[in-house]
Amino acid sequence: MTEGTIHHRDTFLNNIAEKLGRERKLSVDRPLRQNQPQWAVYEGYTQDDLLAVFKKACEAIHTDVRETDAASLTQAIEDVITEKDGSIVIPKDPRFSSFGLEGMLARHNVHVWDVSLGQENIKRAEKAIYGITFSEKTLAESGTVVQYNDKDMARSISLLPENYIAIIPKSSLVPRMSQLTRDIHERVKAGEKVPTCVNLISGPSNSADIEMNLVVGVHGPVKAEYIVVTDL
Amino acid sequence: MKVSLFITCLGEIFYPNVGKDVVEILEREGCDIDFPAGQTCCGQPAYNSGYKEDAAKAAKQMIRSFEDSEYVVTPSGSCAAMVREYPGLFEENTVWHNRAEKVAAKTFELTQFIVNVLRKEDLGASYNARATYHTSCHMTRLLGEKEAPFKLLKHVKGLELIPLSNSYDCCGFGGTFAVKMGPISGQMVDEKVRHVEETDADILIGADNACLMNIKGRIDRRGKPIEVMHIAQILNHREEGEA
Amino acid sequence: MGMKIGNHPFFDRVDEGINNSFMRHAVSSAQDRLRGKKLNVTVNDQDLGDWEEWRSAGEEIRRHTLENLDFYLGQLSDAVAERGGHVFFAETAEEANKYIQEVVGRKKAKNVVKAKSMVTEEIGLNEALEEAGCHVHETDLAEYILQIDDHDRPSHIVVPSLHKNKEQIRDAFRDKLGYEKTDKPEELAGFAREQLRQVFLDAEVGITGCNFAVAESGSVALVTNEGNANMVTTFPETQISVMGMERIVPTWEDLDVLVNLLCRSSVGQKMTSYITALTPGVKEDSVDGPKDFHLVIVDGGRSNALGTEFQSALHCIRCGACVNVCPIYRHIGGHAYGSIYQGPIGAVLSPILGGYEEYGELPYASSLCAACTETCPVKIPLHEHLIKHRQNYVAGQGRSKASERIAMKAFGIGAGSPSLFQMAAKSAPFVTKPFVKDDKIPKGLGPLKQWTETRDFPAPSKSNFRKWFEGHTKKGEAND
Repeated sequence: MTEGTIHHRDTFLNNIAEKLGRERKLSVDRPLRQNQPQWAVYEGYTQDDLLAVFKKACEAIHTDVRETDAASLTQAIEDVITEKDGSIVIPKDPRFSSFGLEGMLARHNVHVWDVSLGQENIKRAEKAIYGITFSEKTLAESGTVVQYNDKDMARSISLLPENYIAIIPKSSLVPRMSQLTRDIHERVKAGEKVPTCVNLISGPSNSADIEMNLVVGVHGPVKAEYIVVTDL
Repeated sequence: MKVSLFITCLGEIFYPNVGKDVVEILEREGCDIDFPAGQTCCGQPAYNSGYKEDAAKAAKQMIRSFEDSEYVVTPSGSCAAMVREYPGLFEENTVWHNRAEKVAAKTFELTQFIVNVLRKEDLGASYNARATYHTSCHMTRLLGEKEAPFKLLKHVKGLELIPLSNSYDCCGFGGTFAVKMGPISGQMVDEKVRHVEETDADILIGADNACLMNIKGRIDRRGKPIEVMHIAQILNHREEGEA
Repeated sequence: MGMKIGNHPFFDRVDEGINNSFMRHAVSSAQDRLRGKKLNVTVNDQDLGDWEEWRSAGEEIRRHTLENLDFYLGQLSDAVAERGGHVFFAETAEEANKYIQEVVGRKKAKNVVKAKSMVTEEIGLNEALEEAGCHVHETDLAEYILQIDDHDRPSHIVVPSLHKNKEQIRDAFRDKLGYEKTDKPEELAGFAREQLRQVFLDAEVGITGCNFAVAESGSVALVTNEGNANMVTTFPETQISVMGMERIVPTWEDLDVLVNLLCRSSVGQKMTSYITALTPGVKEDSVDGPKDFHLVIVDGGRSNALGTEFQSALHCIRCGACVNVCPIYRHIGGHAYGSIYQGPIGAVLSPILGGYEEYGELPYASSLCAACTETCPVKIPLHEHLIKHRQNYVAGQGRSKASERIAMKAFGIGAGSPSLFQMAAKSAPFVTKPFVKDDKIPKGLGPLKQWTETRDFPAPSKSNFRKWFEGHTKKGEAND
């Protein structure tokens, strides 16, 4: 089944139009939004300023932030991986080699997501202690990393292992969600396809459902670690 | 400045002395007070119960009574807020809508009038007591007046004002709500009174007789001796030896 | 089970709530805690700018969207289908359930995992799925707790198990699942994690609600903290998302504003741990993520509000902020409302969706203190809607009491006539005299009976303001 279908649309939408007291609308001329407070947030902040904001935000979401330069990235990751025997799952992402991480990865039990292996990938991810991905855009305001998931950048990697490690190029920092969504909006307008899963992750999974007490680590990762690469 | 007093139905029947204090305070500030004899009730009991037509009858009488006034001042944030709602009662009647708008625009709650129109904050009052203050919902949320009572109380000599926890929670009056939903209202006023008791204040001050009637009813029932006073009674008070 | 909770009359439910001291403690401490958390990330967040401007932005987007709802739903469905997803428009709960039953039937699904969703609760989807032979696994911690505890009903739209304490949760886990650890929230949550991990991996179908659908790209955005919604939409081969028809934004830029308002208003977070926007991609050859994507768009009575004075009730983004400040909810809890939608928004929405016959009393369960209106992040005038419901109710759509109608008629006549009003005012001290004791009425009759159950009523004053004022004015003139 690759072709989509739509059922009962016309009666449904005609009813809406009728209740609204007009004909069905087939186009909308939208006026510019009057209230746009989002652009003033951290306006004019440098990457250094945004990094400071980001680090502050991470305090509130139980997430440690480390800073490193590209040359020491290997060491920074080693420092985070305290369980040396623990297996690691990573996406098929050329950045792992272009940032010189291959040597480090070779020393560990690493599974690189490979779509040709099918369900085996999920089994490996389920057993992995660490999942590592790069952040595509990073939202300073809320301590949020962003993933665009696809067949290589699989959803499971940041979800199944107990520990999630995000590698964050400092240049990926933007003030807040507005910059991300504007970018996606522009791309949609230009006819590009949105990734099937745009995932904004802010720290480890958590819940306050039991007597409003915060429990960190529910169905997703129990721990999240961010490594900011200051010269990328 | 000419000011017409709208005493409110509750004020006229239960708290005439508050009306007297209002008159004396405003006269001392140089206002010329009149009391339009045709005034009745703002109409809120009917309006809030869903009886818009019956509320409109009250509103028309109020508009007739006050449309020649320069300012209308009332010792109730809730009733003032209701008068500000009047235009909405006459959406289909342009003539009455316009008349309603004029009255609504010149109606003020007492403390709001003193602070924002007369631009006075120190009225020379003094009152030796520990007090806490009940911020009523309609005054703060519908009328949007959160500051005026505190600005005035700050200048009352001898008065120590203790913050009231959960001050933002409704006291449970809500007009007909208190009799229609008695059990819920009873729980609300009980919690309010418990918070008042926790402050260890000698008096509870408020700017709405309706809330005060409700809270006092519960305070008296629980038995801890806390006096309940309208802000006008405080602002019109002078301790002996004070000017 | 649908939208309705319980069969007891309203006042019995209220009494039940008032007498449930654990629940009341849980609710009031949750309200007090959330108030501070919310203030920190809204009006007191200096970096965010003016919170009022954010609220205006939210209102503006919601108003525009609802005014053009047919267009945006059309655009959404086109975008979903273009990416290979299926869209089903359901006028009623039955139609929605039937379609979903057919989908799970075709898949021969035995295990269905669900992320938290109020609309699926509203349409009674779990029962429909069980009827179709499926095991339904709720995976949101709160929903999981309710399901384990004999299908208890939600009492809060954001934290459905708010009325339960950790001891009750431990006991339910122990009795039903053989749980052996303590009542520590960490251990209880850890147990749910263990229990559900394999369930996620084995389920054939994952069902979610929808916080916001994005019309321009055919995406469904989910706002969660636990990671369960991600699980539900990552491993099962089929994803079914169910949305109330108003839960839509035109563009990603609008999504930004509303997600911001939702996270901050509901739980006092800048962002929840996961904001996940899912777009069908059945042509994409990935290992995780669904191969089959269904979006079910439900009317379920919502269109009753379109074009009426209640249209802005559909602006609601289900943040629960109004519930969290409501002093009525504080004392009676969620179940007393008899609807899965409780608090102020519940009292506005339930009669729209379910009629006055069933929910006509709810609009009266408010002191009209307007705390809800003040806090609503998209500026729905909730307390005004409650008054409008009351107007409809007394105008014949509900069952108002004849005695009340007569009393209000009399009020109108009395307050419309100064002479009658003064007569009533003057006679008040005499009429009430037999009940007065020490200037108080400790035990009232008729409408005053409920008042005097818990508090005294004052005796009308014997002094007459009008007379005093007349004398006062004369004295003033004499002094001139």
